[in-house]
Amino acid sequence: MKSLKYIIAFSLTLPLGACEKLLDVQPKSAISDTQTIVDKASAETALRGVYSALADGSYYGTGFQSIGYLSGDNVQWTGSQSQVQEFINHKVNADNATISSAWTAIYRTINRANNVLAKVPQVATNVTFSETLRNQIIGEAYFIRALAYFDLARTWGGVPIITNPTQSPTENWNIPKSTAAETYAQVIADLDLAEPLLPETTNRFQATRKTVWALKARYFLYQQDYAKAEEYASKLIGDAANYQLLKPYNAFFANNARGTQESVFEIFYSATETNAHRNQWQPQTNGGTRQWAPNSTLVDLLNNPLTGGSRSALIAKDNQNRWYGNLYYRSPATDPSFVIRVAELYLIRAEARAQQGNITGALADLNAVRDRAELLPLEAFTTEEILLAIENEHRLEFAFEPHRWYDLVRTGRAQEVLQVTDTKRLVMPIPAEQLLIDPGLTQNDGY
Amino acid sequence: MKKLLQKSSKLLVLLALYQTASPAYAAKYSLNLTSKSISQPDDPTSTNANISGKVVTAAGEPLPGVTVIVKNTQNGTTTATDGTFQLSVAKPTEVLVFSFIGYTAKEVPLNNQKNIQVTLHDDVKALSEVVVVGYGTQERRNLVGSVTKVDAAETKDIPTGGFNAQLQGKVAGVQVSSNTGVPGEAVALRVRGATSINSSNEPLYVIDGVFLNSSSLQSIGTGGKATSPLADINPADILSVEVLKDASATAIYGSRGANGVIIVTTKRGDFNQKPKITFNASQGWSKAVKLWDLTTGPEHATLVNEYYTNIGKPKPFRPATEVINGVAGLGLPEEQQTYDRLGKVFGTARLQNYDLALQGGTANTKYYIAGGYNTQESILKPITFERASFKVNLDQVINDKWQVGVSNTFGRTFRNQARAGDGPAGGLLQAALHTPTYLAPTNEQGVPVGRAGFDNVDLLLENYDVHSVSLRYLGNLYLEGELLPNVRFRSSWGVDYNNYDESEYWNTYLISGSPAGAATAATGQQTALLNEQTLTFRKEIAPGHTLGVLLGNTLQSNVLSRTSATGTGFANNSFKLISAAAVSTSSQSWTKNTLTSFFSRVDYNYHNRYLLELTFRADGSSRFGNQNKWGYFPAIGAAWRAKQEKFLKDVNAISDLKLKVNYGITGNQNLPDFANQGLWAGGSPYQGQPGTAPQQLGNENLKWERTSQINAGLELGLLHDRLGLEVNVYHKYTKDGLLPTALPATTGFSTYWDNVAEVSNKGFELGINTENIKTAGFSWQTNFNISRNINRIEKLPTPLKYGSRDLIIQQEGHPLYSFWVYKQLYVDPQTGNAVYEDVDKNGSITTADRQIYGSIWPKYFGGITNNFSYRGFDANIFLAFSYGNKIYNHNRFFGEGGGARDAARIIFASNLNRWQQPGDITDVPKADGVNVNNYRDGGSRWLEDGSYLRLRAVNLGYTLPLNYARRFKMEAVRVYVVGSNLFTATKYTGLDPESAASSDQNQQGIDLGTPPQPRSIQVGVNLTL
Repeated sequence: MKSLKYIIAFSLTLPLGACEKLLDVQPKSAISDTQTIVDKASAETALRGVYSALADGSYYGTGFQSIGYLSGDNVQWTGSQSQVQEFINHKVNADNATISSAWTAIYRTINRANNVLAKVPQVATNVTFSETLRNQIIGEAYFIRALAYFDLARTWGGVPIITNPTQSPTENWNIPKSTAAETYAQVIADLDLAEPLLPETTNRFQATRKTVWALKARYFLYQQDYAKAEEYASKLIGDAANYQLLKPYNAFFANNARGTQESVFEIFYSATETNAHRNQWQPQTNGGTRQWAPNSTLVDLLNNPLTGGSRSALIAKDNQNRWYGNLYYRSPATDPSFVIRVAELYLIRAEARAQQGNITGALADLNAVRDRAELLPLEAFTTEEILLAIENEHRLEFAFEPHRWYDLVRTGRAQEVLQVTDTKRLVMPIPAEQLLIDPGLTQNDGY
Repeated sequence: MKKLLQKSSKLLVLLALYQTASPAYAAKYSLNLTSKSISQPDDPTSTNANISGKVVTAAGEPLPGVTVIVKNTQNGTTTATDGTFQLSVAKPTEVLVFSFIGYTAKEVPLNNQKNIQVTLHDDVKALSEVVVVGYGTQERRNLVGSVTKVDAAETKDIPTGGFNAQLQGKVAGVQVSSNTGVPGEAVALRVRGATSINSSNEPLYVIDGVFLNSSSLQSIGTGGKATSPLADINPADILSVEVLKDASATAIYGSRGANGVIIVTTKRGDFNQKPKITFNASQGWSKAVKLWDLTTGPEHATLVNEYYTNIGKPKPFRPATEVINGVAGLGLPEEQQTYDRLGKVFGTARLQNYDLALQGGTANTKYYIAGGYNTQESILKPITFERASFKVNLDQVINDKWQVGVSNTFGRTFRNQARAGDGPAGGLLQAALHTPTYLAPTNEQGVPVGRAGFDNVDLLLENYDVHSVSLRYLGNLYLEGELLPNVRFRSSWGVDYNNYDESEYWNTYLISGSPAGAATAATGQQTALLNEQTLTFRKEIAPGHTLGVLLGNTLQSNVLSRTSATGTGFANNSFKLISAAAVSTSSQSWTKNTLTSFFSRVDYNYHNRYLLELTFRADGSSRFGNQNKWGYFPAIGAAWRAKQEKFLKDVNAISDLKLKVNYGITGNQNLPDFANQGLWAGGSPYQGQPGTAPQQLGNENLKWERTSQINAGLELGLLHDRLGLEVNVYHKYTKDGLLPTALPATTGFSTYWDNVAEVSNKGFELGINTENIKTAGFSWQTNFNISRNINRIEKLPTPLKYGSRDLIIQQEGHPLYSFWVYKQLYVDPQTGNAVYEDVDKNGSITTADRQIYGSIWPKYFGGITNNFSYRGFDANIFLAFSYGNKIYNHNRFFGEGGGARDAARIIFASNLNRWQQPGDITDVPKADGVNVNNYRDGGSRWLEDGSYLRLRAVNLGYTLPLNYARRFKMEAVRVYVVGSNLFTATKYTGLDPESAASSDQNQQGIDLGTPPQPRSIQVGVNLTL
């Protein structure tokens, strides 16, 4: 039994030496944030992380998009979450959950883009990591950041502008809001930087120079710079080899279609990266929650052969005879989220032309969209009439895409069409809990 | 005649022994007796000496009824009314054993004496009782800290999954809320309140020296509920449960002691004990005490029509022929049918329990081997809980100094699970309770359909397929012995291994399975390893001065890994495995943490009069950065046993008086692994290619959450300890509370972990034990405890909201888990509109008018246990109570929608009390829509008083007379009946004031879709061979 004592004495000293090593435990599913983008592979994965943020359920994967389409006049609330109703009634409270999650998701996207923009230029090029590829990655990050600030500006007005990645909890907050004009200036600055860095190729799931042009077209329309809007829209419409209005209308989404010629930029989803849209739109019998549904006015318009045409494919009836939106229908939920379709560029150019007095050109673009929906062409119009026709066409062409609200706010027609009595409600409130934790933020007027 | 009297009195005494003494005590003595000795006490063939004598009390009074037995024989008698006895013994050198209830048994060697006088002393068992403390045991009278012992035999028959739920009302300062009527689901157990907002407030559970994982491995959602890993352990294997409450008791557990420590000791054999087999079988039935009171179809339609009239729209329930805007009427209210769905899902549930154990020992070996099988159906179909367990505890003496031993617990817990609460998909109570009664369960073609967006109840019951199997092994191997004189060494190696396998399959009849079936399977594995060495020294260093020193170290590691897969798109409903799915995805996670500790305790005892204890522990954790890896947790405690002083020694009325005070610091490190590190993670793919992204910001200053606690207590024993009383007052203050602190979104992050919160708990605990009646035939003991805990968030930069509709708020200056509501003052009798308190007085009711209005904390809580025994009968009646706690009746919130939700939601019968015409006095306003003024989300109308007094358990037993038992070759036969939750007095209008929809600690007190704890009756038999 003497040996026992030695064993014990030994075992007592054992932990003393081992403990520091024992306490050093590192995760397996994550890495330290000090060594993140160092080569081609890590630059590419970081960029995909930015797209992934764009695809998030709170951004293009439902939340942000729902602000756009619920705030229009096409959708009714049929679920249990009453915060949805606030958009439909145009009485959004500052503690609205969607407002909060969309704001957060957009800034998360910006931070990821900022990481790419700050770190990828530091990565040396070599045989496998060409200058062209590095530029492309940087250019795509600029584009996504531009889109993010564009979405912030059109939803909330002026917002804090953050252009550096957050490295510690003390950075990138307590920053006052910029004006809406300053925020839009950030958008065009990023787009201008992105444009030369990106190749002039066609890719419907990632940004290229053409995607930049398309967003520029929309940007200039918002800025009422109609000549430039027309110019940039024409760049894509003119690229008929790659961009086409497909017939029938549902060709761009039905039968599990993705990346069709209709599409300029859409967000990719797969069985492992699912799109939450369908869960909100589909009825319970299809495994959704039918949180919202097309309202009766929209159902009538879409089913009317004079206004809806083949766009009636956007809606369907469930086993209890209730209408539901059927743009997002796939199971598993791999539906793309559409960001820019070529139809939009036709309507942008139509509006830009109409504003510049080119009624014929405007009508041609408008009728191109109508023709695709299997509707009869419209005849000659005054400027006012054609602008209204474009507005109405836009409503149905993009019934479940986030356009109606932003278009009516942009053209100053929201008060009249949507009966928004308080013009201060044309921008959304800054999320209430952000105001609580960020002394630098101030609430938008009227909230 | 005299002989007959003697015989019968002896029999009675034996029986009395059986009923009242602890089982071990009874067994020990019963083994020495056979029916032969009773029927032939003075067999002349074995007699060669006649002994006579007298038994007296310490005061010199004669003691009748004392059992006198010749040791190691079956020969015995009892004393007469004057305390005298006569007995024939084989040899004049025998040893006599004297025993009597309430007195310490005494062995007296005859040493050839023919006449002896014996004095029996009061059994001061309560005081000399040995209590398990951290890394050792201590006599109760010498405790400096606050420790409460629970005898598991008293609680093990209460039908719950885990032993923790059985502790309700048993321990002062320990608050248990069962949350749900589903057996084996997580319960909330708090020792002296809650110290942390986001870190777990669960106490540390230690079973046979193994630190137990108490957080659920469940990953498949069942509506916010989680299974309890403690339900893997069979309560029948537990000998005692000790609850360590104050800093002096818990500081030895350092970083894991801030929420109290619950030490569980399982049964072991005894050296030199004959094999003893015990068998216990019980059967039971349980049923809901009441169910929700719902509107009928016509009532529902009437309310809906009223709503539409209120908002100036046409009534939907009008003759079918009346078409308005192309919509036909739904028929008049009186034409509506009423369909019962609740009756389909609630039923009588069956409970079964079987335990078989063998224990005993030789001179060098002792063993306890047991198996148990327990199955409990929930009153809510199809939920079941089934546990099979197996236990082997062995101890082996190596030589006169060293001993080794093992403790092994194997358990397999199978659960049929279901989503009871939040849904909508698969929600049993959504389908059965929240579907309006007027909607038919089938469509015009007779096909079953779900209504209101919920599943069809019949389809749900037929097709529910969610299961889990938890395999659990708890083991501990130790070596212990005397290293040097007075120095003992112990090394132990322990493991808590849990494999949790779960699966769900939804076929196409169910919403979750639309359109082509969906399945999930997941396996979680938790492995906690533990190694400990302790050295203990104890010696009386000088007369009256005893010094004890404990030194030890611990190494712990804990790995949690999980693999899961999901599949969608099955060819048809016959295919259920993910391998058959068209689309499948998988995921994996892994996390680990380690803890290294050194600890020491020094105690000093001066003449059992002054007691001093110093404790210190240093913990190093992998969860913190280099600057803050180590945390230090000291404690100091002192006690004064005033009874030992000269001035009290002779005061007979006071049998014990002790004053104690202690102070110490404990910690909490229950935060996610790696929370201090800035990390980038994978898992942000795009286009099927891997993507990386920032996951969290680091905080190198992150450190331990520290709780300081001061405790002062008094223990008093009166009238020979027939009245025992213990009072403790305490104040706990938690600093550097770990919290995912909100970061403005502009950073790209939502939170980072920081030490920001401060929380205090102060309160008192009172425990009283009385022996009201103590005679040979009848005894009655009462145990009462009551506690109060005042919880307050002392520091929190921004309020945090939790739960559906932000019903719970954590805000500085208020208790944790406060309710945040619009306070409804009254319903205007003229207009029928609800009037809320306009807190900011701006003339309109906005979010700014929500206010804190009560919390989940009771003002007082506790329990009363009464034990009776009369001859062969025993009774245990146990009441638990809670007073002053609030509960949000979220079912009623949905059920009192005023008709605005129409076909989307049930209407409760209570909604019929709505305002209808000017002059009506009611608190239910007229219907005006969903989340508008009158039916506003978060209105205080649904916040109710959750106080209750519950007859938690009544246990009645009858032990067969020994000679009958012997006829069946048994040593003891007890038949019993246990009634649980027989009666609950409460003002709460829901089903169970303890209900909580979620197992999340920040969402307690919200009752939604939760099956109540049932009333149950069990009958059983307990056999000892």
